[in-house]
Amino acid sequence: MTNAVAMQELLPAPARDSKRSKWLADRTVMQLVSAALLAVLVIFAVAGPLIWPDHAVQDLSRFLEAPGASEPLGRDHLGRSVVARLAHATQLSLVMAVLCVIAALLFGSLAGIAAAWRGGWVDSLLHGLSEVFIALPALLVVLVVSAIANGDLWTLCLGLALAQWVEYFRMVRARSGLVLAGPAVEAAALLQLGPVHIIRRHLLPELRPLLTTMATFGLGSAILALSTLGFVGIGVRPPTPELGLMITEAFPFYHEAPWMALAPVLVLTTILIGLLGLRSKESQA
Amino acid sequence: MSLRLNDLVVSHAGKVLVETAQLDFQPGKPVTIIGESGSGKSLLAHAIMGTLPHNLKAQGSLVVDGHVYDVSDQANRRRLWGRTMSLLPQEPVLALDPTMRTRDQVAEGAPTFRTDKQGSRRAADALLTSLGLTHASTAFPHTLSGGMAQRVAFAAATIGGAPVLIADEPSKGLDQRARAELAELLRSHINSGGILLTITHDLDLARELGGELLVMKDAHVVEKGAAGEVLTNPAHPYTRRLLAAEPSQWRHQWMRNTDGIERADGAVGGSIESSGTVLVSGAGLGKSFGGQELFTDLSLEVRAGERVALSGPSGSGKTTLGNVLLRLLPPDAGTVQHSDLLQRGRLQKLYQDPALAFPARVSLAESLGDVVHRHGLDHTRLEELMDSLRLAPELLRRRPGQVSGGELQRIAIIRSMLLEPVLMFADEPTSRLDLITQEETMMCLMEQVDKLECALVLVTHDDALAAAVTTRTIALGTPSSVTVPELELSAP
Repeated sequence: MTNAVAMQELLPAPARDSKRSKWLADRTVMQLVSAALLAVLVIFAVAGPLIWPDHAVQDLSRFLEAPGASEPLGRDHLGRSVVARLAHATQLSLVMAVLCVIAALLFGSLAGIAAAWRGGWVDSLLHGLSEVFIALPALLVVLVVSAIANGDLWTLCLGLALAQWVEYFRMVRARSGLVLAGPAVEAAALLQLGPVHIIRRHLLPELRPLLTTMATFGLGSAILALSTLGFVGIGVRPPTPELGLMITEAFPFYHEAPWMALAPVLVLTTILIGLLGLRSKESQA
Repeated sequence: MSLRLNDLVVSHAGKVLVETAQLDFQPGKPVTIIGESGSGKSLLAHAIMGTLPHNLKAQGSLVVDGHVYDVSDQANRRRLWGRTMSLLPQEPVLALDPTMRTRDQVAEGAPTFRTDKQGSRRAADALLTSLGLTHASTAFPHTLSGGMAQRVAFAAATIGGAPVLIADEPSKGLDQRARAELAELLRSHINSGGILLTITHDLDLARELGGELLVMKDAHVVEKGAAGEVLTNPAHPYTRRLLAAEPSQWRHQWMRNTDGIERADGAVGGSIESSGTVLVSGAGLGKSFGGQELFTDLSLEVRAGERVALSGPSGSGKTTLGNVLLRLLPPDAGTVQHSDLLQRGRLQKLYQDPALAFPARVSLAESLGDVVHRHGLDHTRLEELMDSLRLAPELLRRRPGQVSGGELQRIAIIRSMLLEPVLMFADEPTSRLDLITQEETMMCLMEQVDKLECALVLVTHDDALAAAVTTRTIALGTPSSVTVPELELSAP
């Protein structure tokens, strides 16, 4: 404590330089490597489907073909191009995960701020609702929703968002409650500053580091949940390529064509490790 | 037992932070170092203990009972900690482990802790009892008042029987009663033959301790001598400046209850009180917190232009009463009426810790800009105020955490003054600042208050400050009862 005090006295923080160089200087090597890995994956997800558009074309004569010059990842049991399927599957996973995290984050944080701000019955209602969702296992919620949806992508996405919003709600509600009860907001009220000021200057800056950290991890768990559902055959239906589904399909041919199962597993691992590494340094939340 | 420090130099990146010649400490004779924040007095204590931050360079030697220790090697004094030397750290509430009960943390320091846990717990209990903390031995630190936490920290620092005790800003944030108890404790350490080094900016504590006094400024000792002598007959201009910064010595234009000081406009202050309109009136107010009654059936009024102090020891409900009067808290009983004059932000509040009164993650310019924008003020008014409160405009580019406490409090004053308040409620605005910064901050506040003829309600536990700034005191007593519910005038 005293050392920290002494340090502050010695080193008054310099005014901020240009934003960009500071951003780079603040990153660790691990974070830069992770960011590069993720960038490669995103490029693959965007450009891959354009380079290999025919993920559904079957050619049974080239059944379980080994990787080669024309087919970098070989062909599957129906003679379909694995790299084309992988590119489409990666794109699907990333887009779905991003959509679902955005939906969960928006709804969760707005509900959290509303509950902390209004209190009373709004708080009781939203809090009660969140308790219900927390009591249900997340995958069960998605299972029920996707059973109703019968493979529809949008409904699947909604199901995942329903399972995830509670985390955002609870964190945002707790943090906003602290901020709103603090002297800074009391002073703002005495200065007659309205809700726009309080949200813009007090709440959002305080919530931003928390939300970016949670969204990064949320992205990972959404991707994992999607492929888990695909793996057990509930989520996305064949023939749509999906990472989990591709692993399931490759299982019977594991000995003859290990690349078939390995490819989606590698993509999944890279995404998860990349996301984890991105947040490896303790964020300033 | 003897302790001597030879030619200490502490530096950081070539900049000298502390430089002293030989310092001798003898049992039974307290040594006190006074000086403002940043003068290097805390670093001196840490250099003796060997607890300096790692990026600081220290040179010199420390002689303890004939053994010579090189100050540049911090590790060589570790085995003296607790047995020969111990440190009573700043802010005991933060220094205590929040997850441990007080008895256990005190017991950890006992010499027999490793071999006899039960025995050291008993020793800790005995020590706590002798400090009047019997009931607090199983309490967690956050439930203790500042004074109690200070005594627990004292117990933890002294249970090892270390003859050398270094107390770093021990009276920070304590009210007068707690400070008197603290002085008593520190004196008991001297009387039992210990060596005491106290680092403080509190002149009252220095006066009560007596002994030898060192005055530090900008890394150097500028004056040295017997406490009584230095504090009555200061030789160095800085010491004189320090003594003049005590509220009881203040002589300023804006003061109303000083005899013989003519105001610039020729009027003698102190007559507005009874004539002004009533801004806030409370009738039959009562409030209790967790079963403890803070005040009951309290009625009071604040009139335009008047300066009132709410005083009393910590925990007596001063801040709560203030918040009730500001209608930030509902009273349990009674009513609070506000005049229409207080509409539209004409009622402002200053906080004890200004760092908490600003949004932490945005720059001050953005925080203040919103106020200017919201009320359609002219930006030049902000610049004028910055200028008249002697603040550099560049400060506004920083965040609240990057500005010193005194400067931030002045920026908080500016923020309130932008709206030209009719009533200003100041909640211990300077209790965490050193004397010189306190005077500077109060001057900034009072010049504005005087200019706007704004009413002031000052919450403070410092009677001298209340007497210097206000003309009327509302005293709240011990937490259990209000001793002086009626209003009394402290002005002649």
